[in-house]
Amino acid sequence: MADKSPRSKTDKDPFRVYEERFVATPDPWTEIVKLEHGGDRTFGSTVRAMVMNAEPAQRPGMEAKLLQALAKPEITDVGRMFVCRMLALIGTAKCVPVVAPLLNDAKSIDAARYALDAIDDPSINALYRGALDKVSGNAKAGLIGSIALRGDTGALGALNAIKASTAEPAIVRTAATRALDRLAAKS
Amino acid sequence: MNSILHPLSLRGADVSSAGSIAAGGTPAAAPFTRRTFLKNSALASTVFALPTILASRALGQNAPSKKITIGFIGVGNIAQNHLATLLGFDDVRILAVSDVDQAHRDTAVAKINASYENKDCKSYNDFREMLARPDIDAVLVCTPDHWHALNAIEAMRQGKDVYVEKPLTLTIREGRELVAAARKYKRVAQTGTQQRSSRRFHDTAEFIRNGGLGKLERIEILIPANNKYTGATWKPESVPAGLDWDLWLGPAPWSPFNRQSCHYNFRFNLDYAAGQVTNWGAHYIDIAQWALGMDESGPTEVVGSGDFPTSGLFSTATKVDFTCGYAGGVTLRCRTRFDGVSDGNVRFFGERGWVDVSRSASKASDPAMLKEITAQAGKGTVKLAVSNNHHDNFLQCIRARSQPVSDVEFGHRTTTVCNLGNIAMQLERKLRWDPVKEAFIDDVVANRMRERSMRAPWSLA
Repeated sequence: MADKSPRSKTDKDPFRVYEERFVATPDPWTEIVKLEHGGDRTFGSTVRAMVMNAEPAQRPGMEAKLLQALAKPEITDVGRMFVCRMLALIGTAKCVPVVAPLLNDAKSIDAARYALDAIDDPSINALYRGALDKVSGNAKAGLIGSIALRGDTGALGALNAIKASTAEPAIVRTAATRALDRLAAKS
Repeated sequence: MNSILHPLSLRGADVSSAGSIAAGGTPAAAPFTRRTFLKNSALASTVFALPTILASRALGQNAPSKKITIGFIGVGNIAQNHLATLLGFDDVRILAVSDVDQAHRDTAVAKINASYENKDCKSYNDFREMLARPDIDAVLVCTPDHWHALNAIEAMRQGKDVYVEKPLTLTIREGRELVAAARKYKRVAQTGTQQRSSRRFHDTAEFIRNGGLGKLERIEILIPANNKYTGATWKPESVPAGLDWDLWLGPAPWSPFNRQSCHYNFRFNLDYAAGQVTNWGAHYIDIAQWALGMDESGPTEVVGSGDFPTSGLFSTATKVDFTCGYAGGVTLRCRTRFDGVSDGNVRFFGERGWVDVSRSASKASDPAMLKEITAQAGKGTVKLAVSNNHHDNFLQCIRARSQPVSDVEFGHRTTTVCNLGNIAMQLERKLRWDPVKEAFIDDVVANRMRERSMRAPWSLA
């Protein structure tokens, strides 16, 4: 196909090398799924700066890109945590369908809470309550802490049951007791 | 401030020791002892007549003859001078230390036992086990910043008074929660911003507060540079024997161990701290807040521009520059100095010129003003709380159940200013702040940066 650009790309074109490099630069929104501890985090920094400095009208588009990255099967644990921390800044209830499954796995529940804790939407409260039966131990204690800090008085029944359950480890029952204290002060 | 009860004014004490604060925010070793005070007091005979290691609450919190029993959470770098200082107090007994690094624990225990000439000091890996002891009255929190809130809140929940190293907390939400816990559990809670216990800083702040410079126009603060370059990438390393890395991380996102991100250098990683903005800013912004009468308030707007590394291990700003605006029109600018000086300073500009105070010196546009500052101390309408030794102030307040000179509300407000600056530099836009609601106005992202989720099982709840 003939090159219809205003400038012809010849070996003498002073912009040629620059443009090739530019084109070769990966899309940072794609690269963030590959983040690893100790690895190059330049692309993550780029995305972080874009998220932080986006105009309100740009945020839905960025949220969609983050959710696309989160849905990639090849995303690393570090990439998942990074994306969820970005969603913590600009995420909305639109996150729920993609993030919710992460709540059911002890390996990813912290990342999920990072994304969802900051979102003031009642659907998150229901989601958290529903996840209480699906995790255990430290993960469950952390989830209870999130419920308490969200001030979800709708969870009182579930928390009372956990507090009274001798099957639960001490750390979970303590978390439930403290959550109930906090919610009692709120209600 | 009018409601604050200050149990003992030590204005007549040796003030040469009061400003003795080592670089990096560490109080100098044992500059002050109450041995002489106790020996000369009528209470001294009682001190020696009673058992010496009863928790003060066992026979009444106010009983002056009782030793105040202390535990340490974190006995690394910053704790060393706290240890040395408290070992110099006859009415204090350090009973236990906790630290996730066995090397730190062993060193501290050896130091304490050598001082007391016994083998009584106990050590714990997990601070919660130490806090469960009913015989400990008070706790010094000397852990990395990301731990301060959880350590202090749990200590107060267990009935301990707390001395919390600066910056008070990692996030604004944590600071508010910590203050709320102090009030809920009725605990004495001191922030480790010990420049408030230096006459140099006290007298300057009081001079400004009483209009000594005329109408105050602006405040300029310089803080040291930071962040050694460690390369664009880094490698996870094996966790050293004796270090409980998982507990060191605590509420922070999980990350593999790397020695550059652990002891001391943690402060250059945004997951654990906020760099020199909070490390040194917590000291000098604190003096500005004091001088402005903003101990329970803060600025109404902030704008900043900083250099944040985009690669490598460290992530806090290498170049800091932010400006806060206060309701009265005064501005406070905080920025990095690149002259190699390992200290900060705060310079107040007003109608009569300027006054500059740092740990090493006081300066003024008119040197005569320096004599005026000293002469006017304690004579103005506004009298700022006087403390000539930060640890002694804490201990006196424990006995009197009164408010310390760096109450955690003040520490929280100062740390908030630091965090406002850090947030503004990252967002690169002007932010409006409501110091009553402690919320940004019309900025969702900024408001979400006031707090962070915690890794399970940790929670502020």
